[in-house]
Amino acid sequence: MIKKNNWKGWLYLAPIIILMAVFTFYPLISTFSIAFMKDYDYIKQTSAGFTFDNFAIVLGLAPTNPEAPVELQGYVTDVVRYAIPNTAIITFVTVPLSIIIALAIAVGLNSIPKFQKIFQTIFFIPYVTNSIAVGMVFAVLFDYNGIVNFLLGTMGREYAWIDLGAPTWKAMIALCIYIIWSSLPFKILIFLSGLAGIDKQYYDAAKIDSAGKFKTLMHVTVPLLSPQILYVMITSFIGAFKEYDSVVGLLGKPGTDATKNMYTVVYYIYDTISQNNVHYGSAAAVLLFVVILAFTGIQFWVSKKRVHY
Amino acid sequence: MEIRLKHLTKIFPGNPKKNIPDTHAVEDLNLTIPDGKLYALLGPSGCGKSTTLNMIAGLSEPSSGEIWFGDEDVTDLSPEKRGIGLVFQNYALYPHMTVYKNVAFPLTNLRVEEKVKDANGNDVLDEEGKPLVKKRKLTKIEIDKLVRETSKIVQIEEYLWRKPSQLSGGQQQRVAIARALVKHPRVLLLDEPLSNLDARLRLQTREEIRRIQKSTGITTIFVTHDQEEAMSISDEIVVMKLGVEQQAGIPQEVYNEPANRFVANFLGTPPINFFHGEIRGNKIYIGDAMVKEITDKTLPDQKVTVGIRPEGIVPSEKGVLPFHIDQIITQGRDIIIQGDHPLETRPCKFVVDAFTDVKVGDIHCEVKPHKCFAFSLEGNEERIA
Amino acid sequence: MSNKEQLPVEETQNERGGFASFLKKTKAAAQGAFQSIAKALHRFTSAGRYEKMLASPEYKATSVKGMVLVLQESGQSVKAIERAQKAGRVVSLVVTYAFIGFMALVVLFPFYWMIITSLKSTTEIRQTQQTFFPNTVLWSNFVNVFKWFDFVTYLRNTVIVGIISTLGTLVTTILAAFAFARLEFKGRDFFFILILATMMIPGEMMVITNYITVSYLGWLDNVIGVFSAMIVPFWVSVFYIYLLRQNFKQIPNELYLAAKVDGKSDWSFLWQVMVPLAAPTIISIFILKLMGAWNSYVWPNLVASKDEWRLITNGLRNSFTTTTGDPQYGLQMAATILVTVPLLLLFIFFRKYIMRGVGRAGIKG
Repeated sequence: MIKKNNWKGWLYLAPIIILMAVFTFYPLISTFSIAFMKDYDYIKQTSAGFTFDNFAIVLGLAPTNPEAPVELQGYVTDVVRYAIPNTAIITFVTVPLSIIIALAIAVGLNSIPKFQKIFQTIFFIPYVTNSIAVGMVFAVLFDYNGIVNFLLGTMGREYAWIDLGAPTWKAMIALCIYIIWSSLPFKILIFLSGLAGIDKQYYDAAKIDSAGKFKTLMHVTVPLLSPQILYVMITSFIGAFKEYDSVVGLLGKPGTDATKNMYTVVYYIYDTISQNNVHYGSAAAVLLFVVILAFTGIQFWVSKKRVHY
Repeated sequence: MEIRLKHLTKIFPGNPKKNIPDTHAVEDLNLTIPDGKLYALLGPSGCGKSTTLNMIAGLSEPSSGEIWFGDEDVTDLSPEKRGIGLVFQNYALYPHMTVYKNVAFPLTNLRVEEKVKDANGNDVLDEEGKPLVKKRKLTKIEIDKLVRETSKIVQIEEYLWRKPSQLSGGQQQRVAIARALVKHPRVLLLDEPLSNLDARLRLQTREEIRRIQKSTGITTIFVTHDQEEAMSISDEIVVMKLGVEQQAGIPQEVYNEPANRFVANFLGTPPINFFHGEIRGNKIYIGDAMVKEITDKTLPDQKVTVGIRPEGIVPSEKGVLPFHIDQIITQGRDIIIQGDHPLETRPCKFVVDAFTDVKVGDIHCEVKPHKCFAFSLEGNEERIA
Repeated sequence: MSNKEQLPVEETQNERGGFASFLKKTKAAAQGAFQSIAKALHRFTSAGRYEKMLASPEYKATSVKGMVLVLQESGQSVKAIERAQKAGRVVSLVVTYAFIGFMALVVLFPFYWMIITSLKSTTEIRQTQQTFFPNTVLWSNFVNVFKWFDFVTYLRNTVIVGIISTLGTLVTTILAAFAFARLEFKGRDFFFILILATMMIPGEMMVITNYITVSYLGWLDNVIGVFSAMIVPFWVSVFYIYLLRQNFKQIPNELYLAAKVDGKSDWSFLWQVMVPLAAPTIISIFILKLMGAWNSYVWPNLVASKDEWRLITNGLRNSFTTTTGDPQYGLQMAATILVTVPLLLLFIFFRKYIMRGVGRAGIKG
């Protein structure tokens, strides 16, 4: 019986095995190896041998053009100068803020007696929109003569948020607001399903124990929601590290201009393809992978103590 | 503190669209629960006893009626302001907190009242001449001492640093009691506290509850469907059926003088035996056998249900009631005899002590008059004799 | 006698012990250091602070005998507490509704602004006095937008890519989920965990090589190739396999055994029993995947080099990035409405499936 099933099982899996072999497992190995190849050229499929320099160059530890005179050897790359700080800011601003806001909305929604379903649907709408399209809408909102400046009473080019001439920090605020806006629905939905799973008797117990509303929230609701919070935290950290669509949607081309730079790590990786510098891109991708893995690992490790299952 | 329930009623609305009628969980309940006593709400499931408890706790809002704690009407007061302790049926211990934190949690929400002292250590008086009192939060040290003091009473000191999931049912139950007791509540409420325990632990724990109640003197109300449990530890009980009070009083009195057939049937193991009977000339008959003479009043001749407690039937040569014995169950101290009365379809059970000489077959039995009751066939089947 | 025999053994031990004892000493030293560090740090842990509290003189001095524990509100009359409680309830309800309502406005505002901007003239959009409703409702943006934005072509491309990639995904997902949920074969669990592990890997790891692969396959310079490149790599979705496998597992085993007894093959059991029973999940997958195709940007942007091969999202971004001078926001917003409305329609009709599919993700925990 089991023997007969043996080949049959693999037959059912054949489509995904073939597809994953070509488009998942092979690329994984290939990207790893390209990351260690010197001057890899994907069009000619040539390389000058094994090297660790790609990582060093991406991280700004080695000169990008060793043949040039010393004073022209750029050590600090765009990755170090822009992509890593930008990505870090996006990650560490949007993730905590969006989790707190989503939690507040979910708890609020859970406590209101009427219109719960309608609000729930409203809060979910951003999930079903196109991030590029809505990014363009936010670009209109944050135009120097747009509604945001109008409401702040600061119309005019000198108050630009994202247009030419705007400083990086203002563009970053606009970007973070957009990212938080678009990441709320998923989090709210997850938190709501988590809240629905909390036994009502813990709230009764908290009432009997004379705990106030805020205390109940902090000492009962949040700890009992910790599995959902951990899940949302991990997924949104990963998402924030890879932020790209929202940048493109809001800013068009996020490259450098005179006053601001919204380069991100993932943008750099894609950029290397058109520049035929994929060995740098691969190195950056491997680094991104390691960082994500480390972050997920740390969160699981921390959660062992903090998360109640 | 004395608790009074006045015309307490709880109606769960049905759904007229789906033809679901309203449920009357509790109807016009009037009870006085005396100060410092252990009081049991007893009845089969669905009798409204848990709903009553939840209304006393404030977790459920009465449809009408009032709840008084001492001389305060607390009907509309929310549970967090009532100062009660409640042990939930499933304990509802916070799963993410250690036992210590579970017990300490209520204390973090309370204040301690202290008299204000002046520099010489004398009480400061207010305008009316009463000592001035000040409220403050408890310190960590005070919380720790109170937690330890309570843990000692319920004997959970060894488990303070464990999570509830690492405890057995009995231990969890004690933690739940500690959490309810630690804040020195005005009232302690227990909702089926023993239902999740195994038989042995149940016996042990109910003695424990009794002991704790006696040592703290807190007015305690506890809900159970187990009549033995209620009878054995409570000072007073009330028997409920379908939301309506049947009888309240001291357990032994309720057992000895049941108000109606339901109460008689509900109390006692093995349960009371019922026979078709009648009253003729102020005497109670089963068939032709006269089982009891009514002396304290005069009743008209009528058909009745006769109930005889299992310990009220005694095998005897000169007995009047004929039985056919099917089965004899020896239980060490007692023997339970199962037999058929020729006029009844349901078998009867009676209890005799272990040295009684009985055999399977036909015998005659005597009836102890004070273990024999007559119930009306009408209305609520009240006891008439 | 025995002493003599033992002596050399001891000696050799001592001789060899040079390194061993060094190791031992080092280990002991390390342990000691570790312990003292742990001790030093212990003070800062909650257990350490707790012990410190127990040892403090205040602890001994404190007595809880005769302590009067009261509620925060004690001393007030029941009526006063009830009044405060009622007021508190009203205030918290008002605050909650205000917060929820405000956030709902924030969430909806971009959509509102998108709509009214699409109905405004460029001069009205750019004027310093912003209007919350167009002075003159201008429908011409919706006519003119087709000059800039080849909506019909992009829509056709997107629908083709979306449908084919979704159907392909469904087939591979159903087959794989069935194998993982019902069939027994060696290596099944290992392989399942292996592919689950790939969910941890960021897609950026694959993009570079996949681009090289499709260019090597010659898929970048012709219609069929580009469409294949936009479809084929996305025929596998590990997450949906996981989702459907969980669903298949919930179907009672008795049904499978009964089908076996009836002489049904695995294949017909899968399509006649399992798939209909798991229909809600499959519909959820279908819609979410379709939405994914509609929203995909990065990969199609890499492989679709010609404008007429582009998908809707790339078309949208590219149509309005290169314009010089003042951006024509009216036209842009008209285009974004064209892109957004189909998704919203999908949401309106399949809200239940979408929300359930997304919500399921959280339950897996």
